[in-house]
Amino acid sequence: MVDRLRARIGVDAPSTEATVEAGHLKRFAEAIGDPNPRWREQAPPTFLVALAPVSLHLEEAEEYGKGWLNGGNRFEYFEPVRAGDRITATGRVADVYEKSGSSGDLLFIIFETDYVNQHRKLVARLRGTAIRR
Amino acid sequence: MTVKVGEELPELVKHPTTRQLVQYAGAQGDFYEIHYDQAYARSVALPGVILHGLLKAAFLGQLVTDWLGDRGELKSFEVSYRGIDVPGHPYRCRGKVVAVDGENVELEVWGEDPEGRRTTVGAASVTVRG
Repeated sequence: MVDRLRARIGVDAPSTEATVEAGHLKRFAEAIGDPNPRWREQAPPTFLVALAPVSLHLEEAEEYGKGWLNGGNRFEYFEPVRAGDRITATGRVADVYEKSGSSGDLLFIIFETDYVNQHRKLVARLRGTAIRR
Repeated sequence: MTVKVGEELPELVKHPTTRQLVQYAGAQGDFYEIHYDQAYARSVALPGVILHGLLKAAFLGQLVTDWLGDRGELKSFEVSYRGIDVPGHPYRCRGKVVAVDGENVELEVWGEDPEGRRTTVGAASVTVRG
């Protein structure tokens, strides 16, 4: 199963496209409890995770352990993201490995997502560590 | 340039509630049951519903952007989730400046539970205009 997952490393999943809507920015800022008026027009640091799935649905990974944990996230920013921007998100599996933890074996899956705007500029890249335990 | 190594960011204390977890689940589109279904969360050996890691990341993002204001830009931001957090307890977000090189400033950031455990640790790179 781990080998099947490893075969996906570096393979782009189908892209998803979404427009950054002012109403979504508002709901997101309210949900995180950040009243900064800047977020009426501009995306706060973690907003892109709300625009497209941050991990691919990997059914085979769910054979491992009993639940998912989020190990960490890394965001790199290249251009601001604003209301009205049309963003294309392309995700891939960047790495898959196992580790022995104190409470049993863990499976680590590193996801990477590139976000490109309507001007074909890379605006941000996200790396996420998903753990099956 | 007024930023100095060792400078602490003004602390940000958040008060997450189960309502906020549901609100966040909707805003992000993350409907994993461990964030709103107590019975499900316990069935996977959790003490109850837990905060989304990315919600804690958003709190730490706010810590950094509140401090930075319009003086500069956030270039990168990373967090590791070291422990789980449950709603109903204050979550203290803290940070400090660890390196300054011209306009480039490196920050260490972390979130603490009420016992002072750093359940989220991270770093941010920002530019600060002189």
